[in-house]
This record gives sequence, structure tokens and C-alpha cells, in this order.
Amino acid sequence: MTGKDILKITINLVVIYLIGGFILAFVYANASPKIYRNNEEAEKKALTLLMPEADTNEKLGDWTIHDKHAKYFISKKGGETIGYIIQSFGKGYSSYINTFIAVDKDFIVQKINVLSHAETPGLGDEIEADAFKNQFKGKSIEHLKVIKGETKDDIQAISGATISSRAVTEDAVKNGVAFLIKTVREGGNTDVQQQH
Amino acid sequence: MSSNNTNLKELFLNGIVKENTIFKLALSLCPSIAVTNNLKNGIFMGLAVLFVQVMVNLTISMMRKVIHPKVRLPIFMLVISGWVTVTQLMMAAFVPDVYAKVGLYIALIVAFASILARAEMFASKNKILPSMADGLGMGIGFLFALIVISFFRELVGKATLTIPTGLTTTYVWTLMETKPLLIMVLPAGGFFAVGILMAAFNWIDAKYSKKAHSH
Repeated sequence: MTGKDILKITINLVVIYLIGGFILAFVYANASPKIYRNNEEAEKKALTLLMPEADTNEKLGDWTIHDKHAKYFISKKGGETIGYIIQSFGKGYSSYINTFIAVDKDFIVQKINVLSHAETPGLGDEIEADAFKNQFKGKSIEHLKVIKGETKDDIQAISGATISSRAVTEDAVKNGVAFLIKTVREGGNTDVQQQH
Repeated sequence: MSSNNTNLKELFLNGIVKENTIFKLALSLCPSIAVTNNLKNGIFMGLAVLFVQVMVNLTISMMRKVIHPKVRLPIFMLVISGWVTVTQLMMAAFVPDVYAKVGLYIALIVAFASILARAEMFASKNKILPSMADGLGMGIGFLFALIVISFFRELVGKATLTIPTGLTTTYVWTLMETKPLLIMVLPAGGFFAVGILMAAFNWIDAKYSKKAHSH
């Protein structure tokens, strides 16, 4: 290898890295505000979908599950507390499943929503399907367990995706509701706000 | 001029039939199994690959005279990963719903044998226009294969078809409520599906080209 080769290789790499860097910087600068807004909108939309009756969903605080930070909210209608929304994570088959759970003020599950996950497309991602999510309506914490096969009282597993079903039900939702019960009851219901 | 045009057409068709990435070359089989358990995922994955393939071929062909042969592979990889990152960012910004589903596999395009192979074997030796025709043919051939495989797997495995009706809307067509052959949407079924369809594709191709020869 001659000095000329070394010079050519160096120029080759430097120029290409620079051009590549500029193109990426340009695309990133244009795309990232949109990505950020998409995520924010998705969260806001998720909260309204979970608690359609509420006028406001105020953030109460943060908690951690599986070393991940999650938020919880209080839902009010005309100044009165009608329920709570909590974000929670479940350890699934191939990812942590980011879930939002809405409960009324007696901690009965009203609705859940799966915000993001990387479960097997076509199988595990059925946790996003309404047929699965609607099962959670009206369930108290004792009934948050997964049954393989027909059930009305508990949660029926998705065929081919028992691990993902369990992760949502027995990990994300159950732990989230348990945390809410503990925190809110100990804090004396609506006064939690003043705790932090 | 006309011979030039037939040449481009041949290059374009080459990627779809004669050198179809999945059915003929048996390359990039990983995504063809990983994302093809529903039609929508297959379509968007195929479109992302098509875009990257064309852009990479174009870029490499433009730079073919200045690239030093000793560092050509690192440069190809850099160009590929650059375009993949661009695709990723654009999808996250403009089609967040789709990105949430196939985003994981978009990053994997960097490691696609088919894209690196076209850069090395074709784009680095040919002019811009033939390189783009080649990229377009290869990309469409890949998209076609993914559509066929995901159509087959979703229909046989779940008796449904998830059809994208726009960037963010889909329509799910259901044949029946039961899942007739669930194994087809599982990873193992992916191997079966690719094998069966590969055989069918080659059988049809062999029959057709034999006929063409006897005339």
C-alpha cells in the first residue's frame, strides 16, 4: 500500500462519514420533533380513551416496575375524583409491555390499553386486540389471573400467546392496581396529591 | 436507444423472477419469516426494503469511481445503515402506527445479504440508471415475495387478511372465526410456508420457461 492509497482511503472515509452525518442530522432534525409529538399525542389520546368521562387527568406521581419509570394519574370530573389511571410494565415473551390501566375509585378495572411492546407479530400482539382487552372491564384485583380455556370470571389467555397474556394480566395490570390500592388507600384517597 | 431500454427492462425483471431474492437466491430469509405472519406487516416491510435497495444502489453507483477497493465494504455498510436510519426516522415520524409494528425489523435491514450483495455485485460496477433498475427490480421482487408469503400464512394460519387501506388505516377481512392451522403463523410455519411457496414459484417458472424454449 502506497502513501497515495492511504491518502485516498482517508479522504474516502472522511468525506463519506461527513456526508452521511449531514444527511442523518438533517433528517433527524426534521423528524424528531414529529416523533416526540407523536409520542405525546399517543399518550394524551390513550388517557382520554381510558377515562372518557373525566374532564381532567392530572399526574399524581411516578413509580417503578421492572426498573422502568411509570406514571400514575388521577381522573376528575367536575372537581370530584372518579378514578385513577396508572402506567405499568409487564415482562412479556420478547419485550416489556407498556400498559395503561384505568380503575374507578373502588379500584375495579374499567379499561386497559397496550401502548407499546415488541411481542411476536401475529401472536403476542393480539394483546392489543379489543377481544382481549375488553375482558378486563369490571374485574377486581382477585380476578386478575389468566386461565387457559373458556372463562367469564377471569382473563382468558390468547391461544399461542399465554406468556404475553400473563405478562399483561398478572404482571402489568395486577401490580399496577395493587400499587394504586396501596398508595392511594394509605395516602387517604384524594389527598395523595399533597403527599409529594 | 431501444436496446438500452430492453436492457433496463430485463434488469428490472431479473430481480423479480430470475433472481428473486427469496424464491430463487434464498437470501434474506430472516425477515421473510419474522414479519410475514400478517399481510400488512409484510407489505410495509417490503416497501421499506424497496426504498433502501433503490437508494443504496443509486448512492453506490454514484460513488463507484471514487471508492477505494480496499475500503469498499465498510463504505457499503455505512451507506446502507445511513439509508436504513433515514427510513426508520421517517417511518417513526409519518407512519407511527406502522412503525410500532415493524420498527424492530427495519433496523435489521442493515444486515440484509441481498442489499449488500447488489451493492457489491451490481451497483459498484454499473452506471446510475441500470443500478436503479436493478434496485427497483430486486426491491419489487422482495416485496412481491413478502406479499405472497404473508398472504398465504395469514390466510391459512388465522383465516384473516389484514389489508392496509392507507398509511394509518387497515381493514381486517375475516374468513372464519377459528384459526385453521395456527402453526402457519408461528415461526416454524414460516419455514414451511417459505419452502412450499419457493417450490411452487420454481415449478411455475420451470414450466413456463420450458414452454418458451420449445416454441
